[in-house]
Amino acid sequence: MAEISEAPDSDSSKLLGSDSKAPQRPDSEPEFDPKLMRKTKPGLKRLFLTFSVLFSFLLGFPFLWKSVEIYRSPLPFREIDSLSTQLRSDTLLFPLHFHALFVGFDSDPDRLRWSILSEITKLTSQNPKCSDNYTLSVTVDLGSRCLRGPTSSPHSSSYQCGSVTGDDFVQNDDVVVDERLASVFGGKNNEYSMAVVKGVSERAVVGKYRHAWMVVGDGSDVEMAVVKVAEVLIKVFINGGREEGLIRNEFMPVGADGKIVLSFNLLNADPHDWVYDWDFEKIDDTLLTPMIEALGPVANISVESQVLYHTPKASFSYWNQKLESYVFSTKDLPFFVNSNEWHLDTSIAAGGRSKILQFAVYVPSAKECPLLLQLPNGEISKTNGFISPMWGGVIVWNPQGCLKDSEFKPSAKNIIPIQDLENMFEVFIGQFRQLFGFKSLNVYTGASGDWNLLPSERGFTEWELDVLSRQHTCFNLHSCATTLGSLSRLVQSLPRMIIKDEIGKQVKLSLEAAKLALSNASSGVYEFSAASSSQARSLAEDAFFHPSIMSVSYYSFEHCFAVYSPFFLPVSMHVVLAALRELRRYKQEKAKYLAWKAKANTAT
Amino acid sequence: MVLLQRPHILLLLIDTHQFLQCWIAFGSANEEGQQQEEFSEELLVKPLPDHKLLAHFHFQSSAPPSTSNGCHHHLFPKAISQLVQKFRVKEMELSFTQGRWNYESWGGFDPISSSNAKPPGVELWAVFDVPQHHIDASWKNLTHTLSGLFCASINFLESTATYSTPEWSFPPASGNVRYGTLPCEAVCTENLTPWLKLLPCRDKAAIALLLDRPSLYRGFYHSQRLHLTSTESSSEGIDSGIILEQTLTVVLQPNSERAIEVHASEKHVQPSWSLSSIFGKQVSGRCVLAKSSSVYLLLDRGLVAELKFPNKENGKSAANGLTSENFWSNPSFELSVNPDRIFLEESSSHSKSLSILYMFQVEKYSESEPFDIGLMWKVPVAWLCQQTPLHASRFFMGSGNERGAIAISLKSTQFTEGFMSANSKDGSCELRVDVFQVVPWYVKVYFHSLRVFVDQQPRAVSDFIEKIHVSPSKDKMSPGVMEVVLKLPCRVNTAALTIEFDKGFLRIDEYPPDANQGFDIPSAIISFPNFHASMVFLEDDSLNRSPLLSKFQEKCPVMSYTEVLLVPLTTPDFSMPYNVITIKCTVFALYFGSLLNVLQRRVAEEERFLKAKAAKKTGRLPLLLSKLSAKLRGRRREPLHSPPSSSSFINSKLVLKVILVAGLAVGWQYFFS
Repeated sequence: MAEISEAPDSDSSKLLGSDSKAPQRPDSEPEFDPKLMRKTKPGLKRLFLTFSVLFSFLLGFPFLWKSVEIYRSPLPFREIDSLSTQLRSDTLLFPLHFHALFVGFDSDPDRLRWSILSEITKLTSQNPKCSDNYTLSVTVDLGSRCLRGPTSSPHSSSYQCGSVTGDDFVQNDDVVVDERLASVFGGKNNEYSMAVVKGVSERAVVGKYRHAWMVVGDGSDVEMAVVKVAEVLIKVFINGGREEGLIRNEFMPVGADGKIVLSFNLLNADPHDWVYDWDFEKIDDTLLTPMIEALGPVANISVESQVLYHTPKASFSYWNQKLESYVFSTKDLPFFVNSNEWHLDTSIAAGGRSKILQFAVYVPSAKECPLLLQLPNGEISKTNGFISPMWGGVIVWNPQGCLKDSEFKPSAKNIIPIQDLENMFEVFIGQFRQLFGFKSLNVYTGASGDWNLLPSERGFTEWELDVLSRQHTCFNLHSCATTLGSLSRLVQSLPRMIIKDEIGKQVKLSLEAAKLALSNASSGVYEFSAASSSQARSLAEDAFFHPSIMSVSYYSFEHCFAVYSPFFLPVSMHVVLAALRELRRYKQEKAKYLAWKAKANTAT
Repeated sequence: MVLLQRPHILLLLIDTHQFLQCWIAFGSANEEGQQQEEFSEELLVKPLPDHKLLAHFHFQSSAPPSTSNGCHHHLFPKAISQLVQKFRVKEMELSFTQGRWNYESWGGFDPISSSNAKPPGVELWAVFDVPQHHIDASWKNLTHTLSGLFCASINFLESTATYSTPEWSFPPASGNVRYGTLPCEAVCTENLTPWLKLLPCRDKAAIALLLDRPSLYRGFYHSQRLHLTSTESSSEGIDSGIILEQTLTVVLQPNSERAIEVHASEKHVQPSWSLSSIFGKQVSGRCVLAKSSSVYLLLDRGLVAELKFPNKENGKSAANGLTSENFWSNPSFELSVNPDRIFLEESSSHSKSLSILYMFQVEKYSESEPFDIGLMWKVPVAWLCQQTPLHASRFFMGSGNERGAIAISLKSTQFTEGFMSANSKDGSCELRVDVFQVVPWYVKVYFHSLRVFVDQQPRAVSDFIEKIHVSPSKDKMSPGVMEVVLKLPCRVNTAALTIEFDKGFLRIDEYPPDANQGFDIPSAIISFPNFHASMVFLEDDSLNRSPLLSKFQEKCPVMSYTEVLLVPLTTPDFSMPYNVITIKCTVFALYFGSLLNVLQRRVAEEERFLKAKAAKKTGRLPLLLSKLSAKLRGRRREPLHSPPSSSSFINSKLVLKVILVAGLAVGWQYFFS
């Protein structure tokens, strides 16, 4: 091919050369101008060569691109988006079944049901994140027979007519009544029951399990009871009896891996005055273990304790003559915790992202001995302690000795009396409940009256645990969706980032767990949904905080550019310019040839 | 419990009296089982021959075995206990050291120097109670945890190239040992503060109050050590008890005012000192949590021999009447505080004279009456500390960046000759020396080139090396380890081991930021297993034994560390890769450019073009010039021969170009300078 194209080209040059050298014979070709015309076809050889070089370069580019490409495990971006839109569009509905039982009333259950429902809709504040999908069934127990509404409700059918009578509520012991109701309604099914009974002593009690009861006087009307029923269902059973804005609802002091470490510290401010020790193991067994077991579905809790010495507080207290004690006011509370001297170590036993809640018992030194905390309104705190959200709680414990006038001479080592210790840990449990957003009072004051809340020996009642696991599921799913969303945005915004297979796997597993949690939540299995939602969250966090993500900047595009540009910039300039020049020349020559041809044609 | 009781019932049949005794014994064992966590603090002060002073702080915490799974603690540091539980550490020692222990003048044959003289930087070894294949993972996690705990870069010991597995020469001989050192780690207060945090009283009370940072770090030697042993747990569920021993050894220069005033004649008088003059602080009261807190003053064997105590000759018989005052009101020195007790060493096999220990109990003192012991010398005293049988030093041989040799030289200290001969059995006296040497992988040691010189004569290796274990280094994987047991004759004067090496090449990212400083080769450990440094003091109550003194009684082999060597490796120019890339790319670009040029060049056409141009050019300026010259000469214009004139013209153009480039260069220089 080359030879063939060579021959005419050289011919043409010879011809041209002879043309230019032979001005003496213009007569043979009268109008031939070598600057504008040529007789031969312009050669394609060089054009072909330069373009083949250019094209081989262009073809090589994909290979180069492939070779410098970094490994990115494919992430399911669309599924992540769909999860977050699904959560945002408020489809996370927790199904709840309410059952209201009216004993001794003679009213139409359907009418009662409608009036309760209308009250409920009045009370429901739209939770921006998670909402509930409730069904209500009403039973009017007439002793011998029941009136049910809606008649075909699958949930209220478990109730046996006549098993609850007004006589059950005559006794004053609420705990006995609670147990009696628990045996009637059955503990297993996730149904919230509400019993309204006509009786003598008016009471309104919320039990430890999933039911509440109300004894109303004979004369009171049904409408009043309906309002109260609706309120307890919404405010207590759904919202957990807490007020809006106290602690933000989505605050859960649970680590990203679903673990909490409760670190208990006994701080002896000055061991020269006295040294107190505690019998922590005993308290751990009796008070903390039941609570930890109860909270099992929400968080995996471990407990550790230590005693620290020489730990003064960071701010001063003032002697109050009237109280005969030192008073520490609320406005100084931020300076109570002395982070320089209180070595409340983070736990080595706990994994990386566990939440550590510090609980400290502060034993003041003799210089500041009866140390009391003062509330902003001037009163003295009853618990003598405070909490700091997401950090933990502090209690000041004044040893017996300092209250009397130096009668008591402390020996080298004292043990905190077990009674005091129990009180202290009850306060701690209260603080722990507060960290979760619950109140530590056992009275709920609603708009329509007070409700007695029966406390559980496990620290958290069953309906509170339900609230927690619902909230936990909701919080976890949202946090999982946000984490995955940030991850996908990050990954998409940094095209040079290496994404290992492990991350892809974690994201996939996290999405699966989140889906499982969603489906469990919508079928009302709170425990499983809480567990799988926390798994989803921890996997999402694992993916986001994977150490390999940190190495992004090491192979940036700039780096790539800096390495390859000294070669490709000059070479590509040469190649492209050569191709352009060759193309231009070819066009020019072709125009010459065409011009000559046209002339030749006209000549002939 | 039932099983235990059965023999007792049998015993009851035999002898009721014995049964009672058994029960008493059982009861006491029970009490022991529920023993409390304990803490004790001690300080030992010892004058050194070269006018310096050794202060050795010893804190010991112990946690008994408990069922609480290491979660609940009263005195024992939670962090350490959790560390032991999590990584199943059986024994561990971590030391931070600054400065080098001067074996020649500070001694090497006493318990303090053989267990507290450490190599500079960080040294860590640990024994794990985990299956063999989990040890490395445990070690990695442990190094990371410790580096977080002590604010040090111990996590660099994580990579397999930095730690080694000693087989048998390292003292806690067992296969589960991991050993690593960081010779160039700087040690400062940020390491001391977390170390103090492990003490229940921290530095708020008693002896730890003396730890005044400026005076500590002004010292000549400073070594902070943490040693923990977890006792074997017999049954499941009950976790092991832990003994945590924290020591801080400092060598300080007492600078009393008197030292300035001394006359030339009194130059040899040891400087007088007191605790407050050394540390700038006094001990006020004790740490209430400590079981015992006491300060000891130790007078060396050599010093006691010099001091000529009146009843020195009586030796041990005098120990019974030890309370006699003549032990502390000596004509040559004076103590500012009367000691509470005086201990005399039990007869030692290695030395004729016995050391004396004065004990001061800190409990008696309070804030109003702080404790401050002082020692005032009256007459000049000079003595020598007892030294290791052989003084070890290590150095490099050879030059250049390619190869070299490491030499470990052992020189006999005539000091111990006396008892060496006593050690000999049937004339065949042998001195056993264990050498443990770790070399990083970039120092490629040729183990076949090991040579032994005894009394400066090259000798056959097999004559003196009884046992050798070598694990060659793997590039970037593991360091080379050499463990040698030498059997030398007692009368040996000098011995030396040499081994040759090549210096390896490191990849550019393996160099530390200060690559030109050189690379450290960790200290070799020279130990003498036949010699045990122990001091046994006569004590009345064996129950209430001080942890420090019982530590002294342990028979630990005499050990010494050699110097850290600094090997310079070829340091590359770190911008090299980019230079290489750029120059290579430029060459390639040039090649491509010229290739393309050649490919598309049309030679004939260009020639023609040039000719046409030349023709055009000759028609102008040269033509004019030639016309001009012809007119000037009054001659007819000759037909122009362009080549010479055009060549001169081209030359002038070239000159112009050169001038232009030079001008540009000058301008550039001027502009940028």
